[in-house]
Amino acid sequence: MEMDSIPNGNSAVSTPAVTTPTNSTHTTPSSKLTQLTESLKLEHQFLRVPFEHYKKTIRANHRTVEKEVSSVISGVNDAADSDMSKDDAFQHLTSLVSRLQGLKRKLEEGSRTENLQAQRCRARLDHLESVDAENLSEWSNTRLKRILVDYMLRMSYYDTGMKLAESSNILDLVDIDVFQEARKVIDALQNREVAPALAWCAENKSRLKKSKSKFEFQLRLQEFIELVRVENNIRAIAYARKYLAPWGATHMKELQRVMATLAFKSHTECATYKVLFEPKQWDYLVDQFKQEFCRLYGMTLEPLLNIYLQAGLCALKTPYCYEDDCTKEDPLSQESFRKLALPLPYSKQHHSKLVCYITKELMDTENPPQVLPNGYVYSTKALEEMAKKNNGTITCPRTGFVCNYSEVVKAYIS
Amino acid sequence: MELGTVKDAFDQQLSTVRDTFERVAKRQKLSSSKSQEVIDQVSHEIEQTLANIKSVQGLMSPVDQKSILTELKHKLNAISPLNQLEGSQKELNIDLSKYPKLLEKSFNSDISKTYRNVDFDFHIVNQIIASHFYRQGQFDLGDCLINEAGEPEATALRSQFLELHQILDAIKVKNLEPALKWASTNREKLQLNGSNLEIKIHRLQFLEILKGGNRAAALNYARTFLSPLASLHMREIQKLVVCICWIGKLESNPHSELLDPTHWEKLSDELTRDFCNLLGHSCGSPLTLAMAAGIEGLPTLLKLANVMAAKRQEWLAMKQLPVPVELGREYQFHSIFVCPVSREQGSEDNPPMLMPCLHVLCKQSITKMSKGYSRTFKCPYCPVEASVAQCRQLYF
Ligand SMILES: [Zn+2]
Ligand SMILES: [Zn+2]
Repeated sequence: MEMDSIPNGNSAVSTPAVTTPTNSTHTTPSSKLTQLTESLKLEHQFLRVPFEHYKKTIRANHRTVEKEVSSVISGVNDAADSDMSKDDAFQHLTSLVSRLQGLKRKLEEGSRTENLQAQRCRARLDHLESVDAENLSEWSNTRLKRILVDYMLRMSYYDTGMKLAESSNILDLVDIDVFQEARKVIDALQNREVAPALAWCAENKSRLKKSKSKFEFQLRLQEFIELVRVENNIRAIAYARKYLAPWGATHMKELQRVMATLAFKSHTECATYKVLFEPKQWDYLVDQFKQEFCRLYGMTLEPLLNIYLQAGLCALKTPYCYEDDCTKEDPLSQESFRKLALPLPYSKQHHSKLVCYITKELMDTENPPQVLPNGYVYSTKALEEMAKKNNGTITCPRTGFVCNYSEVVKAYIS
Repeated sequence: MELGTVKDAFDQQLSTVRDTFERVAKRQKLSSSKSQEVIDQVSHEIEQTLANIKSVQGLMSPVDQKSILTELKHKLNAISPLNQLEGSQKELNIDLSKYPKLLEKSFNSDISKTYRNVDFDFHIVNQIIASHFYRQGQFDLGDCLINEAGEPEATALRSQFLELHQILDAIKVKNLEPALKWASTNREKLQLNGSNLEIKIHRLQFLEILKGGNRAAALNYARTFLSPLASLHMREIQKLVVCICWIGKLESNPHSELLDPTHWEKLSDELTRDFCNLLGHSCGSPLTLAMAAGIEGLPTLLKLANVMAAKRQEWLAMKQLPVPVELGREYQFHSIFVCPVSREQGSEDNPPMLMPCLHVLCKQSITKMSKGYSRTFKCPYCPVEASVAQCRQLYF
């Protein structure tokens, strides 16, 4: 029963109209299925990433064909327009034919890759469709493993990721091969080489441009800084003219700041410029690359694990979690989880949810709360049991207060 | 709502997704064979020309040669291979861009909307994951992560779970010795926790001996191991010893339920529970639990984030969620009292109070209704009058 006529004390936050399943329907099969469906809708990345990979292969293969065919055609045109000897013409055309044969082999190989990747997309769909009420717990276990592999790959813990995927037989359900591509670039950046990153930018030029990415610019800036660091000023200036100037229209401020390092050199104490020479700039490039990479493949920028874990901690967090008597079954009784949850909001309840201190069971209409004369509340089940064992005597486990079971009263909590 | 409607609707959607994907795959195959075809056509024309050149005996007049090559050029021009390639690619591109759009429509395309970009210490996360692996008995995975991430080793935790899994592995091959050894070493603590694990292990061991058919061994085992436990488990032991009379035809003994093979699994579960309990760990993996809560809670949080974004409310600043995220009762660890009048959650300053009619409100609501302790008031749920003095604080 709700008393809406009584003014709402001091509820400062207006309540957005979010429909949540109510407590009572929570355990029915229909709500379980609804819940399952809602959780399946979170799996966007699971289908998207292999598809982006597939698409990329298709596009690359097609570009190869187009390029080769067009150069064969212009080879023919060149021959027609020139005055070759018969032998030369013969040779020339023969080489074009073998080039086409080579292309054909390449195309066949490319199609095989395409088909494998299509198969992977299908495997993901199959996996999503395979879940039902019967295999739910096994399916959920696999989901946790998938999420853990995702975490390993994003953190560059490739061995652990691979081991977990292989031992759980979920290679088709995780994106290890996609991350191989990232690994090359990241490893190079960690060794202070930009070439693979630049090659990656060239490969994905149109999409990076579409998302207004300035990653390439940042790479170029770093290369420039490295030239300034070794005081190779002439090359630095030449480099700036060739690679930095084109970004001037959109990123003038940054460009000016970096160019000014020519005047300050690498051992400058001026904070604005000093930071540009710090090694952490390379870590920053790695982070930047990871973000671009994830965006391109339709992945979340954060590891899935972090997203789910935050949501879970948010939903579990109560002020009582940080008290000493928080039960150890609550993840938030552990220091590690507490620290992670510290900056997160507390959960909210609209209705009382009472847990018996003794049995840890929910106190509801079937197992209503009973009040001892000292105000301490326990479930009916717990007190009945205690009374039966001790000839009707009840001892409050928290205060040591002793009374008779007959003195206990049922409380009505709506 | 009808049973499973939401799931059915989603399954429907998934099958649309699948159909759309299969269209892409089909188009990719078509495009591939188109490319093959184009290459063959071009090859064929060039080979034809090569044959023509070869068929000319001796020297060839430059004019003839030129005309053969120009003919080839025109033929290739007529095939227009690049246009053919482009055409098939164009059709493929349409389907290629359709699919991700459909995915975005059918799924939650950005589940990171609720993510707070706060300090989420990855060292702590790594430690949590490594502990999770150890707990599951995946020691090589835990070690691998610790190594790869350069985290300090969790030696104590590792060796604890190693002991547990050695005991469990032995149980899997029906070797109860390590389990027994652990249970008898920890007898007092187990009894204090109300666990009767030890007798359960002995029971399984005794039944194995009975199955072996050696009456003397069974009797001997009963005398050596069961009788010392008699004071605590008299009836249980009587039941067991009686079984000796049925040696050779155990299935027909009156307590044949003792032979149920699920007892072995149950023992493993119980031992795990008691083991974790004694060491102060939770029964299940806290990571598994927190992640399951996240998967259950995230859809609500995402809806909330959308609503708040529309109202320009700040997601990052709030100290408490404005709406409940309903989780199953397995995630309920604390008593939360919500005053039915003020909708406030109970706290130390504003505790739940029991009125004489046995209804419960929070202290603030009672203060308000009594106009600051000055007068009696009617319970909003029943017409019983109460005064502040008659109300008493509750402790859940
Ligand atoms: Zn808690
Ligand atoms: Zn009342």
